[in-house]
Amino acid sequence: MSIAERTRPDAGKAAAVTTAPFVPPAPAARRRRGVNREGLEAGKRSTRTLLWILLAAAMVLYGFPFLYLLFTSFKTPIDTIAVPPTILPKEWTLENYANALGRSGVLASFINSAQTAVISTVLSLVLAVPAAYGITRYKTPSGRVFIMAALVTRMVPPVAIGIPLATMMSSVGLADTPIALSIAHTTISLPLSIWLMSSFFEAVPRDLEEAATVDGCSRLGALWRVVIPVVSGGIAVTAIFAFLASWNEFLFALLMTAIRSQTTPVVIANFQTQFGLDWGSMTALAAVYSIPVILLTLLLQRKIVAGMTLGAVKG
Amino acid sequence: MRISDRRFALFLMTPAALFLAIFVAYPLFRLVADSFFKISPIAGGPRDFVGFENYLRAFASEAFMGAGWRTLAYTAVVVTLEFALGLGMALLFTALGRSSQIWRTVFMYPLMIAPIVAGLLWKFLMIDNFGLIGTVLHQLGILSNPNQIGWLSDPDIVLFSVAIPDIWLTTSFMCLVLFAGLQNIPGDLIEAARLDGATAPTLLFRIILPLLRPVIAVALVVRGIDAARAFDTILIQTNGGPQSASETMSLLIYRTMIRFGDPGLASAMGTIYLLAMLGVAFFAVATIWRPGKDN
Repeated sequence: MSIAERTRPDAGKAAAVTTAPFVPPAPAARRRRGVNREGLEAGKRSTRTLLWILLAAAMVLYGFPFLYLLFTSFKTPIDTIAVPPTILPKEWTLENYANALGRSGVLASFINSAQTAVISTVLSLVLAVPAAYGITRYKTPSGRVFIMAALVTRMVPPVAIGIPLATMMSSVGLADTPIALSIAHTTISLPLSIWLMSSFFEAVPRDLEEAATVDGCSRLGALWRVVIPVVSGGIAVTAIFAFLASWNEFLFALLMTAIRSQTTPVVIANFQTQFGLDWGSMTALAAVYSIPVILLTLLLQRKIVAGMTLGAVKG
Repeated sequence: MRISDRRFALFLMTPAALFLAIFVAYPLFRLVADSFFKISPIAGGPRDFVGFENYLRAFASEAFMGAGWRTLAYTAVVVTLEFALGLGMALLFTALGRSSQIWRTVFMYPLMIAPIVAGLLWKFLMIDNFGLIGTVLHQLGILSNPNQIGWLSDPDIVLFSVAIPDIWLTTSFMCLVLFAGLQNIPGDLIEAARLDGATAPTLLFRIILPLLRPVIAVALVVRGIDAARAFDTILIQTNGGPQSASETMSLLIYRTMIRFGDPGLASAMGTIYLLAMLGVAFFAVATIWRPGKDN
């Protein structure tokens, strides 16, 4: 632990945070100030100030690596690898962006990434929504076995199935296509989607579709017209996770794509070998690739938090 | 006439089950089958049945055993540190209450970054000569020379250095899950303990952590399995080097398959790795998770 702590500049400070919130405010002070805080929330003003300072320090340290990537992407290519390095660019320029985006194959890789992620998301939802509904609504033994099997699938190391999967795809003529890669990505996102959707269906009251079937709806009709609209928020969460899983995936993309369907993560990694060490272009491309999904997170944060914590806290 | 509920449930599950059978179970079957053959890396080359020879070669090879231990050490470091940091942040956010909400959102941002990008940006911070961390530590007077610590070039510490992006990426996940768990602890309970004069450590170790146990268990299992499969961040930072000092199982299997062109041996390694992971997973699912149980 000590070595790892040394390697992480913020480890010491952040570790100090661990015990800090538990300085219990003295009862007398609480009464005097008349602050009414519940449970674990700190009440005393001086404690709160200290905690805010700690939080600010932690946020700066945690946020810095990505900011440094952004700053670097605006440096001139020579300043990028200057010794000693500076934090802010001496001269702000878009040269790295022009170099990165102007390279052949880079723009095409964005289209490939988006295409692959969209196909994989749709495929995951189309398969996971009915399956999760079948598992949670009719608690049959086969459903129980199936969700276990789906979870175990999550444990399979991609490196173990990547090569056989690539061989299969080329034997049916799908080598180096976004379809083949999105199928591979769906092997990752489908178990996760089934798990998430099961949690969402679990929360829907059974009376809802019973009422619908009494009114003459078929079971499929009840699912489509009554239950799906109720869990649409959950479907959106699941879609975000499936999309991100594909957008950020690297190993399958490395094994299964060559020229035509290469996604951006592979292109970013290739900068390192193919063109020597072009750090400037790499940082620019990495920034362009990451910013849309970071913005997406900030926009949809409530939904994402719900999805992240669902399985763990309720399960 | 209505088909039975049981059949209807089966009908709903079949497409997903077929998909997983074709694209996960069958490749796994191929992997296991390949592990019993000596295979030429050239397409259409000879394939000779060799029984368990690939397995014997795997266990006899120093690279394989080394990668196994390194994977364990890597997983332990990643999970321990991100648990400690994630819990610290979750407690901090809880103590600050509602007013810290916006910062909780901002704290999540690394979760959306591709591991390959995270590995790249930390490599850029730690790299010899123009890495910022060495320079800053030198300017603060902690190091006598910016290159005194070869974060990614010293075989003794590289396994810890390559873990940093992974920790940075997913501490947010730990924090989110633990934070959600903390919100479910009844305030009265904490209040009562405080009135009884419980000190901060007592509160943490005797009340909060035991109550969080199920949440902690799930978070550790999920992250443990992910960390044991780490590939992207290590590949881009060191490619397993120097001298294989950061070569974990995923990297070794990848290199055996692609670089050394020995699919038979790689398949045997993959099978052993898979069995180890499944063993842990089954144990974890059966004892902690129990998915699909009735409430």
